[in-house]
Amino acid sequence: MKKKFEFLFKTKNVLIIFTGLCVLLIGISVVAYNFFTPFKNLVSSIVVPMQKGMNYLGLWTSERIENLQEIEDLLAKNKELQKEIDDLKAENNQLKQQTYKIEAYEELFQLANTLDYPTTGANIIGKGTDNWYSTFTIDKGRKDGIEVDMNVVAQGGLVGIVTEVNENSSVVTSIISDNSNVSGMLMDTRDICTVGGSLKLMDKGVINLFYLEKDVVVRDGDKIVTSNISSKYLKGILIGYAKDVKLDANSLTQSGYIVPAVDFKHLQEVLIILEKKQQ
Amino acid sequence: MKRKIVEFILILFFLALQCTLGRHIALAGVAPNFLIIMPVIFGFLNGSNEGIVVGFVSGLLYDLYSGETVGLSALIFLYTGYLAGLFYQKYEERELFIPLCAIFIGDFAFNFIIYVLNFMLHNKLDIWFYLTHIIVPEAVYTVAVGLLMYPVLRPLNKLLDKRERKRVDITDERNI
Repeated sequence: MKKKFEFLFKTKNVLIIFTGLCVLLIGISVVAYNFFTPFKNLVSSIVVPMQKGMNYLGLWTSERIENLQEIEDLLAKNKELQKEIDDLKAENNQLKQQTYKIEAYEELFQLANTLDYPTTGANIIGKGTDNWYSTFTIDKGRKDGIEVDMNVVAQGGLVGIVTEVNENSSVVTSIISDNSNVSGMLMDTRDICTVGGSLKLMDKGVINLFYLEKDVVVRDGDKIVTSNISSKYLKGILIGYAKDVKLDANSLTQSGYIVPAVDFKHLQEVLIILEKKQQ
Repeated sequence: MKRKIVEFILILFFLALQCTLGRHIALAGVAPNFLIIMPVIFGFLNGSNEGIVVGFVSGLLYDLYSGETVGLSALIFLYTGYLAGLFYQKYEERELFIPLCAIFIGDFAFNFIIYVLNFMLHNKLDIWFYLTHIIVPEAVYTVAVGLLMYPVLRPLNKLLDKRERKRVDITDERNI
């Protein structure tokens, strides 16, 4: 029996078989992407708990390291003061952490109040695997009522949109991602424009603004919000502030940059709007 | 069998590492690609067949976790493993140059193909920018991580080898 199939284990044949398999998979994912949803669920249900564990481990070790350093410092000091300082420091740290946490939650709470939509909070637990697109994973999924195309906000501004939902986690594509395009408008004059993420501009902390009509007057700092004609984004969520808008070479449109309202580098918690534009 | 299980767990571990640690150790927004290191090292130490299988599995998981097209990474990863496997037993295992080269070539090809498919075809033609800001930095960073991982994975591979060889010896004796 084994000999009969031995020819299959020659490297050339293995290579051909697996290449064929890959081509088949690519074909399926081009034609019917939904075919992979159960498999994706399976993978994420295995990986996400591991991620959570690792995040926990990372926090734990960094806490331990911090503690060690603190102890070293304290050893150099007077023995009498040691305990007092230790206590005070621990208390101080705890209080500080609490205030930070409270501040962050207060901000989110205020945002949730200003929005007229039902929202739910979520923590960011991981990022996408490649360096090309800015996606991240959050710790809420289908079980918590998350669906694809739900808008994600934080710190008073638009973060992105849910692009993939698994059982216990979902993937959010942020507006600074290179493949993201949002229909926006100037808040005061209601002129429509398009906002697109760009890998090139990511380091500079801005994103692209284009297709603004030529006679619209835009000043630096003008607020850009999501437009009413957008098919996926709810109307009136702050995207960011206009910057350096200039007439294009074609003399028909203007383009420039937007400074996003959200600090994407230090994002920890987000709010998901549970209402979708198209029900 | 034990070997396959260990490899699968390693792949899962590195996938989780990619999504958590990757964010924290990113330099200038570029994180290393942990998963492409696996097929190279196992291909180099155990031959092309192993490289192909490990590459396929790790690429598939990579795609299933966060991929646009399922199968693309698997295809490139398995060819990377195959490439590394071509040098199986031709060089000293201590010789690091060959696997590191394979990691570099594999990661470079992987990102270059992504660039062509998702960026160049979308009229983002500034190839120099993407080369110098994403493709080459990621490849170099991945090689550096591979350099750190090789001394850990090689003894592990040896350990698995020993166990397998033991079993083969026992069956040989029975045959006599």
